[in-house]
Order: sequence, then C-alpha cells, then structure tokens
Amino acid sequence: MNDEKIINSIRDKLQTKILDLTNPAPRRIYLKVNPKDLLDTIRYLRDTFNFTHLATISGLDKGDNFEILYHFANEFTVLTVRILTPRLDPKIPSICEVIPGAILYERELLDMFGIIVENIPDPRSLLLPDGWPQGIYPLRKDWKYERPPEIIPDKGNK
Amino acid sequence: MAEFRVPIGPQHPALKEPISIRMTLEGEVIKDADLKLGYNHRGLEKLAEERNYIQNLYLTERICGICSHSHATCYCQGVEKLMELEPTRRGLYIRTLVAELERIHSHLLWLGIAGHEAGFDTFFMYTWRDREVVMDILEIISGNRVHYSINTFGGARRDIDDLQKQKILDGLKILKDRTKYYLNIGVTEPTFIARLAGVGKISKERAVALCAVGPTIRASGVSRDVRKDDPYAVYDELPFEVCTADTCDVLGRAVVRIKELMESYKMCEYLVKNLPSGEIKVKAPRRVKEAEVISRYEAPRGENIHYIKSNGTDKPERLKVRAPTLANYAATIEMLKNGFVADIPLIFAAIDPCICCAERLIELVDARTGEEKIILSSDLRKWSIEYYNKKTNCSSLRAKSSEIIWPL
Repeated sequence: MNDEKIINSIRDKLQTKILDLTNPAPRRIYLKVNPKDLLDTIRYLRDTFNFTHLATISGLDKGDNFEILYHFANEFTVLTVRILTPRLDPKIPSICEVIPGAILYERELLDMFGIIVENIPDPRSLLLPDGWPQGIYPLRKDWKYERPPEIIPDKGNK
Repeated sequence: MAEFRVPIGPQHPALKEPISIRMTLEGEVIKDADLKLGYNHRGLEKLAEERNYIQNLYLTERICGICSHSHATCYCQGVEKLMELEPTRRGLYIRTLVAELERIHSHLLWLGIAGHEAGFDTFFMYTWRDREVVMDILEIISGNRVHYSINTFGGARRDIDDLQKQKILDGLKILKDRTKYYLNIGVTEPTFIARLAGVGKISKERAVALCAVGPTIRASGVSRDVRKDDPYAVYDELPFEVCTADTCDVLGRAVVRIKELMESYKMCEYLVKNLPSGEIKVKAPRRVKEAEVISRYEAPRGENIHYIKSNGTDKPERLKVRAPTLANYAATIEMLKNGFVADIPLIFAAIDPCICCAERLIELVDARTGEEKIILSSDLRKWSIEYYNKKTNCSSLRAKSSEIIWPL
C-alpha cells in the first residue's frame, strides 16, 4: 500500500465529501472534510487502511476559524484529516467512539482553544490550573500572557 | 467492601510532567483511575510562537531532560523540511549516533528503575553504574551529559575524530557484554520474573485502540516503530530489527527494552564505522516560506510528533508537540484497572522511566471513617515489596536463583 493507492481509494469512496486532498511529501497525506462527515471518514479510514493510531490532534487559530488536525498513522503513511470550525461557534464532534485513545487530545483542545467537543465522554479540564478564569483560552492568538506586577515587600508596606 | 480513593501526586520535583492520579480501590484492587495533568505546564507551544526558529531549537531541547535530543531532532528535521534544506550525510550520521546513544542511556536508566521498584536493588546499582559508560561517551561527543545540543539546521554542530571513535567503540563493547548478562537475568532470574510477569496487563486490541506508543505497545505484540514505518535521518540504511514481545505485561516491556539495547549497540557500531567524510553542516536560511510539516521521531519512550506551521517570517505560526508519555497515559489507566495497589509503582515505572524515581506523597483516605493517612512513596514501595514477599513464596524461588552464575 502506498500514498497513491490510498489517495485513489479515498477519492473513489468519499467523492463529494472531499474538500481538499493533497500529498505534498512522501508518506504525508492531508485530507479536508466537513465537520459533519468527520466521524464517517475516520471510521472508513480506520476500517479500510488500518489508521488505528491517532498520533495527536492539533488545533490552529486561523482568525475567523479554528482548524483542527487529526494526525493518523499506519505502517505506511501519515494521514491528516482537517476540519474547520467557526470561531464564534466552535463545535466539533467527539471521535472517541471510533478512536478511544483520542480522549486526552480532545480534552486538551477544550482547554487550550475553548472548542466544544460534542458527546465527549469526559469534558473536565485536563491541563489548566483549578483557579483558571473561565472563557480564557491560552492558545488562541488574541490571548497574550502578561506577567503580574511583582510586589517586593519593604519596610513601608510590611 | 468499602471503597477507598487514593490520590497520587501531583508534586514531583524531578519530573517534567508531574501528574495527579486519583484511584478508587476495593480492598487491594484498583477499580478506577482518574487523571489530572498540567501541574508543570510551561506554555511551551505559546512561547514557541514568539521565538525564532533557531531559538526554538534550544527551547524544544529543554522539553525533557532524558530524551532532550529526541525533541530537538524532531523539531530540527521538521524545520529542515520547511526550509527545503538537505542536511549533510556526516551531520545526519552524528545526529543518529547521539540519538541511539540517548536511547541506550534512557533504557539503562529505566532498567534500573524497574529493578528498584521490583525490590531488586542490585540490578538498579549495576545498570546505573553501566549507564555512566554511555554518559561518558555522550560527554566525549557533545561536551554535555544531558542537553547535547548537537543539532543545528543543516547537520550537526560538532564533529567526531578518530580518537573519539575508538573510545566510543571501547565503551560499546563493555555495554554489550553487560546487556547480554541483563537479558539473561530477564529471562532466567525467577524472583525478577515472578515480580514482573502478569503485572500491568494490556491486550493487543486495547493497546491499539488507546493509541499507545513505544515499548508499551511493542510489548503487546504490535511492531510499531517510527524508525521502520516512517524512516527519518539515516534509519533506512541501518541494520536493525523492531523488538517485540507478546506477554503484554511489565516483563515484556523489560525484555523489549533490553533487546532494543542490543539493537542500538549494533546501530552505533555501524554508524561509527561507516561515518561518511565531508562537511558536518550546511548554512540554513533565517526565514521560512509558508508551509506546514509533520515530523515524527522514535524517542526512547515511543513516538514523538511535532506539527510545525510556518507563516513566511522567522518565527513559526504554530508548534504542536506531543511527547510519548502523553500517548501512553490512556493505556496506563487501563493497566492499573483491576491491578493491585502494590503494583502502582511498577506499572508507572513501566511506561515512563522517571515517574516513580523520586519521593511522592500519597494520601490514603478510609471511605468509612474518613480517616486520612499520608505516606511517602518510598514507604509505599517498601510496603509493596513486603506485601509481595508475604504473598508469593519467594524463599523457594530464591533458593533456585543460587544456581545462576553471577559474573561479578
């Protein structure tokens, strides 16, 4: 099985669901679909080409949209499924029913980008501290870290 | 039977990733485990967006202290692809040599930890003494024991001369003999086998479903190794086999790592003997055109993946890092379930070489009385060894072990 074979099979099977399908480097395939087709696509990839291993999920802030990249790997190649979700209403379906190992990466998305993952088995915060303010998501481009002013106690304000 | 909840962690000063795990127990048996991460979250992905590419090379190197070279190489080869830069062959050979030496030091360190957690401290002393040999080799090559800083875009930063080559080969010879002896212990020493076999079981199907990586999944009979599946650097020309075991337990993970040590020695010898001549690096541009790249690397603990997106400036738009330990957490939860409290240190040690190596507080809460008891992880370890000494009739096993010939 090689890149070309996989690309041709995907093109035959998914047809109009494919928004974009590229192969910029050997062993690297990028496939773009609509969020509503995500689960079916991933199930098809898992059952047909043995893309059982989800390496990770990357989030990307593209201004008006968020891009979510699911990096899958099998013995031959790495396939990245990407979806776009609007910034004002960021919602994506959970893929845990197909790939149970995705849970930690989805919780990371929830924390870092504030993307709502629908039907996620466990929606609690994973990485942010307990006292972290609501509605602030560190990996969004509009969030900048500001160091709190340092207070040095002296004789005056003991 | 009453249920106990046992929180483990999070404070752990020696670790890059201190984690908190809350376990629900029924008697001695773990029924459920829950995870909370982020106690040492350094916001590195955000930080990387404000640094230029060469600064990020040193930033990624500091993600981890044990496998520092793996993150730096993963990032470096990704950026080289973005820059469309072809690193020199000699540079790649040196880079790969350091990568394999790092794997040797990490696996020897892990073996020691496994021996320590299993109550076999002689093994711990032996492996850590031998680890000094490979640490010395790394110091000869790079000048450093921890952060080797050997990578740069386009090749390696330091060259190797003939005297260094000879010293590396001498060191590898010692390590090879010692590792053969450890493999012998791994398959014949009855007390060691009795403690490790059957602990932390995870079936092949579950390990695949939970996306485990590295020696954890290879010990469940899946031959998944980035070096073979997606060869980077010069791995497509190196002679090596992917080591697997099918016992699905901690013993299998130990055997996989010892076998990998033997493969690494073979690769290091090949790399030193066949080091091509020429320049060690080529000059790299400062700016990178707009593109994206996925870079994968087989770190000692498993697959390491970096996703890098550039935007045409000298700083990356996004750097996503996924270290192998995170990928193995879901599988660890599965391993802990239906295991014993006394196995917690060992199961943890089996996925990550440093999660159990320092003192850690454990709070035992009695569900019926609400009485709390705080014990140190060293006490938990001591208690777990006593528990197993009582449970299995180790004295009969120890009698047999006297038949094994000890080389020292």
